[in-house]
Amino acid sequence: MNPEALSALGNLYGDRLRTSLEARICYSFDATGKQFLPDAVVYPVTAEEVRQTVLLANLHRFPVVPRGAGTGFSGGSLPVRGGVVLSTERMDRIVSIDTENLYAVVEPGVVTGTLKEEARKKGLFYPPDPASLKFSTLGGNIAECAGGMCAVKYGVTRDYVLGLEAVLGTGELVRTGVATAKGVVGYDLTRMLVGSEGTLGIVTRATLRLIPLPEAAATLLALFHGNRRSAEAVNAIVAARVTPSAMELMDRTAIDCVQALMPVALPEGTGSALLLEVDGPEGQVEREADLLTEVCRAHGAIEVRRASDARGRDDLWKLRRSISPGLRRLAPVKLNEDIVVPRSRLADMFDFLADLSDRRKLRIVTFGHAGDGNIHVNIMISGADADETRRAEEAVGEVFRKTVEMGGTISGEHGVGISKAPFLEMEVGPLGVAVMKRLKGCFDPNGILNPGKIFLDEAAVRG
Amino acid sequence: MRDADLKALTGLCAKCGTCRTVCTLYPERKAEIAVARGKIALIEAAMSGEDGDAEAVQEALTDCLLCGRCERACPNQVLVEEIVMKGRADLAEEIGIPAWKRVLFGKVMTSAAATEIARKAAAAGQRLLPGKIPTASGLHYRFPDGFGGGGRTVPKLPAIGFLESLGKGEAAAGEVMLFVGCVFDHVFPEVGRAAYETVKASGKSVAVFRDAACCGLPAMVSGDRRSATSSAEANVSRLRAADPGAIVFPCGSCLLMFKRNVFSLIPKGTPMYDDAVFVADRAVDYASFLLSSSVLDRLPDPPPGKRVGEIGYHDPCHLSGTLGKGPEAREVLSRAVGPAFAEMAGADLCCGYGGTFNVRDYPTSARIGENKVTVAARGGTKMISTACSGCVLQMRDMAARTDPSLRVVHIAELVHQALFRK
Repeated sequence: MNPEALSALGNLYGDRLRTSLEARICYSFDATGKQFLPDAVVYPVTAEEVRQTVLLANLHRFPVVPRGAGTGFSGGSLPVRGGVVLSTERMDRIVSIDTENLYAVVEPGVVTGTLKEEARKKGLFYPPDPASLKFSTLGGNIAECAGGMCAVKYGVTRDYVLGLEAVLGTGELVRTGVATAKGVVGYDLTRMLVGSEGTLGIVTRATLRLIPLPEAAATLLALFHGNRRSAEAVNAIVAARVTPSAMELMDRTAIDCVQALMPVALPEGTGSALLLEVDGPEGQVEREADLLTEVCRAHGAIEVRRASDARGRDDLWKLRRSISPGLRRLAPVKLNEDIVVPRSRLADMFDFLADLSDRRKLRIVTFGHAGDGNIHVNIMISGADADETRRAEEAVGEVFRKTVEMGGTISGEHGVGISKAPFLEMEVGPLGVAVMKRLKGCFDPNGILNPGKIFLDEAAVRG
Repeated sequence: MRDADLKALTGLCAKCGTCRTVCTLYPERKAEIAVARGKIALIEAAMSGEDGDAEAVQEALTDCLLCGRCERACPNQVLVEEIVMKGRADLAEEIGIPAWKRVLFGKVMTSAAATEIARKAAAAGQRLLPGKIPTASGLHYRFPDGFGGGGRTVPKLPAIGFLESLGKGEAAAGEVMLFVGCVFDHVFPEVGRAAYETVKASGKSVAVFRDAACCGLPAMVSGDRRSATSSAEANVSRLRAADPGAIVFPCGSCLLMFKRNVFSLIPKGTPMYDDAVFVADRAVDYASFLLSSSVLDRLPDPPPGKRVGEIGYHDPCHLSGTLGKGPEAREVLSRAVGPAFAEMAGADLCCGYGGTFNVRDYPTSARIGENKVTVAARGGTKMISTACSGCVLQMRDMAARTDPSLRVVHIAELVHQALFRK
């Protein structure tokens, strides 16, 4: 970056501009394990500072990469072409929670779990629950359209974003959407921005829908011989006309890698587990929990356990949430894909993955949100064996082709970022890519915002 | 930094960000460099030969309370405390001790007599320490030259320390060894006394470890591996020679040193390793010792209905967190003061002391500490009890800053009161 640009940023931010190597290293990574050094880090506290930053970026032509907590799995917050990392972590106020109209107004740096907790205190519920909810930010969740465990019943981040305030790539501050339940005036710019991975605008404020907090919940752990059996149980549950608030699948390896942290006694032959949760009014929860137990047993569950209290529920959830980072124990590098297939094709997908693992001689760990067909496929490799890495990369291609062939999508909730950019066209087609690029040009004509993401950028993919 | 051990430790970090949720310092700094994964990224970069500013890395590693919350929350059980301490030590060897710490360093703290001289000199000088400590000691890290500014309440040092108050030949040998620690000997000798009397009430013969060196933790967290090792070796060899059945620690941080940290100074394969294991196996926190003895059975019934719920317990990070000894102190308190004890609001919030952290960045340390005691007081607590010397020092200072009626004591003082109540 040129010294003029840096000095202008210095005038804007004072000591909230950091350019030391040490400060930059701390913003060079996210949860992908890849690293790209930015030229500078800024910590804005107002939308105006964000706007000024983007105006300067247009003037001096440097990239601006918005970053929440840097917990993404697709590289969305990595400064692949250098420039400025704009950290929203100091814009972390919950501006208001409206208990009459049921919405919250938040700044982007609010941690998702914090909003959930504050809403809960008022008897309200912000459902989206990515596994990282205790540390990822709402701004990041909106940019990536984060999903989570309860999507099967409650939907994903986009279903709760009513309106946004965002700085576009031009440096203009735009307000989109509504603060009401309905609203159809003009194009849906809100949805356009949600999931745009910081390439169209930087969210500076969001109006988020809240719903009444469910009265009760019950959590069960059902153990099966294998993933196919688990998948069949999932479909049987849906057929029984129950919609659990979570249906999480974990294969045996996934469970084993968190055993060190929290031991779970497993009966012999356990090859897969379903973590199930139902919520709602007390009596209904009881009935549905009993029904889930019955259905699982009828579909080959070796054992069904029910958490007896809040502590037990927390433990089961902690088990689930610890899997993803815990995989690090198995191998240094994971290729982490979050494909979605129609629920009825889950069992076939699991068979395909088992076969793929054998054929390619790769260790593949699967877990994830079976209830909505969203499966985290983790190919674990050493990173030091070139042949293994090549086999793994080819396997990823195979998984994606199979997914699209089954009528699914190659990313349910992590986003494209740099990890899936090479496969964008495989799913949306050349016209889809072309239209997306045209839209990008409308929002960010100079390519300031988060360059190198979504669309293929060879330099970025290599890392 | 070319430390192979360090590489193995940092390699487990997946940069997931869980550490951001629990870090005591993060809410103050709101920057990645404050949290474990940021520090680990810096160490990794330094190890891979990134041409950075070693002093800046050192500064970043120093900016940590070592409260261990990240380590306990980490899904991969990355040993953050060890990484940070190793990093500090490696850098200290490469580029020296940070300038602000340099004044505190130099001499090895292997002599109880040296600490004694220091305390006396300070007490006689009527002001705390400045220029008065001729030889380094554990206290030297806590009260360096120039200490006492910035609105700090500094404890008035008593004329006579606990060890000095013992009669000649008193508590010279016994099956139970009491490791009092610098602070409970010199700064708050009444705690040393209370611990001694109550441990003695177990009916076992009690020896007080008179020729104790500083436990070594202050040196270790400062990156002074040589001094820390030298303290650890001196203590371990003397304790091994004394051959006690149990070694009781009223201070959680001293205990951590002998239970866990000692093994990175005296690792497996070194000549003194077996002795260190001997000591670690016998080292026990004050509350656990009481529970394993008959002391508590001798307590009279606590007066009913008096000061109900007014006494709380503060969880020292090292004792309750790292060593998992939280329930024991609560059990002791329930038996000693009955319904006066109640779970305190924010019991497990860090007090913000962080040993040398408090010296280095008093304003931040004080903000964290003031919040700690304010949360407790708002919850109805009128007296905070705990079991670590650093926490007592810090919370007494914080109480003085926020609510002078709030009292801070060691649990031994409450047990002593109950046991010898007239």
